[in-house]
Amino acid sequence: MADAELKQKVEELIAANPVLLFMKGTPEMPRCGFSMRVVQALDAMDVEYGAIDVLPALQPLREVTAEISDWQTFPQLYVNGELLGGADIVEEMFESGELAEALGVEQPAEAASAPAVAQAPPLQIE
Amino acid sequence: MADLAEIKAMIEAALPGAAVEVVDETGGGDHLRATVTAAQFEGLSRIDQHRLVKAAVKPRFDDGAIHALSVRTAVPDS
Repeated sequence: MADAELKQKVEELIAANPVLLFMKGTPEMPRCGFSMRVVQALDAMDVEYGAIDVLPALQPLREVTAEISDWQTFPQLYVNGELLGGADIVEEMFESGELAEALGVEQPAEAASAPAVAQAPPLQIE
Repeated sequence: MADLAEIKAMIEAALPGAAVEVVDETGGGDHLRATVTAAQFEGLSRIDQHRLVKAAVKPRFDDGAIHALSVRTAVPDS
């Protein structure tokens, strides 16, 4: 059973921040490779986001997020109040352009390097 | 240390008809990657697709056999 006061605080944070990342460490100094991958994706999107370091209260926060969104591992990225996913999902959505869509921003040029090749016009032979 | 064949069977039991591949990412037996293609994923968000896979193997997380499971999900081409 999660701590009721902490749960309420987390719910308020999720409601108050359109883009909110629960991570290990900070965006400036991630303490986990998975958290770092999500930070890199968000930074590439040039979007403002809130970040919460879960390490000082890891186990209580696991219990809280298990109740709120049925997810216990970190990082967790919330967009408009809903859990979008952890590192695997965020990376997959970053590559496919779905992350930009979910965040309501333009897909950055560097993320689209592979699709850009595919979208290049066919070679014309004179 | 997880039994890869058992993990695969647990996912297949939860998602009948799914194509499931489970690999050991580190050689240590506790950081696994599962690639799951299932018709049941149709219409679900990615997070819900992943929830189905993680729920299927939850007992092996709970008993500590697995520490990390990377998941890739896809809907089969119709």
